[in-house]
Amino acid sequence: MNEYDEKREDLINALMDGELSATDAELLKVEASDDRELARAIIEAYQLQLEMDAIRVERAPDSLRKRLRAIPREHRPAPVFSLLQPRWAMALAAIPLVVIVVSLMQPDTPSASEVARARQEMAIAFAYLDKAGAITGREIESSVGHTMADAVTDSVNRVIKSQNLNSKEKEA
Amino acid sequence: MSKKYRQWVKDYQDQAWTVARYILKDAQEAEDATQEAFVKLWNNRDSIDPERVKAWLMKVTRNGCLDRLRRRRYNVEFDESYMTGDVSGPMQGLAASETREWLKRAIGGLKEPYRSLVVLRDVNQHSYEEVAGMLELNLAQVKTYLHRARKQLREQLAEVRP
Repeated sequence: MNEYDEKREDLINALMDGELSATDAELLKVEASDDRELARAIIEAYQLQLEMDAIRVERAPDSLRKRLRAIPREHRPAPVFSLLQPRWAMALAAIPLVVIVVSLMQPDTPSASEVARARQEMAIAFAYLDKAGAITGREIESSVGHTMADAVTDSVNRVIKSQNLNSKEKEA
Repeated sequence: MSKKYRQWVKDYQDQAWTVARYILKDAQEAEDATQEAFVKLWNNRDSIDPERVKAWLMKVTRNGCLDRLRRRRYNVEFDESYMTGDVSGPMQGLAASETREWLKRAIGGLKEPYRSLVVLRDVNQHSYEEVAGMLELNLAQVKTYLHRARKQLREQLAEVRP
């Protein structure tokens, strides 16, 4: 549009928008009576305005209305602590599991009767070892001589004595 | 705050939907675009000046729609006839409702920002100042562009009317 057209469009639109003063509207009317192009443009502008007035804001569909109403519910910020949150629910569920695992990892504490029985069995075992050491010593003595037998029986006796001592220390 | 949001939805859902519908011309996509704009409104509800919510929402809705149009042009072969709508040919003897539908298609066929200007000013009936704020144009630009758009529609309408 050239400058003249722009100015004329401004006037026509101002007339349509009701922004033209009565004096300017009258002047435009006079000008249109001598200018068929301008007169036609004004008539067409009125026709367009009439059609435009029939076009109204469209009602949003119900599906959209529902979606818009749901936004606050669907976009609620997550609370800092909530037992309903998956991570907290998982942590709660894990507590009994941890307790069970820890209890399984604890060493069994023997009862008093079990300790007494173990001592008895150890004493019997050591008695057998004493006898076995003596028999072995005699057999070695008879075959390789007294000196070698002493060396073997002495070492066996030392081991037995030291084990006895250790077990007594532990009991104490 | 949720109460205020509900009021905004009640006040502006139809206007935002109308903007999206005219720009995108696809009901499902227009619904998605309108919802996106309201999600942004909800997420920014504390930082938006309550006096400017309408302008903010219309601007965000329009920008979202234009983004979708740009993506659509990348994704599918651009169909000129779809964008402009079929507004050619004589329409003598059309019923008022048919003329209205024709005019809607003609508005949808305008290029930006003319289309948004006509929808915001002539369909949604926002003031010139509000439209200027929504489209980030000055008042003189809004009037000049709108006048061009109306002239184009006027001439098209004159061609199809008896």
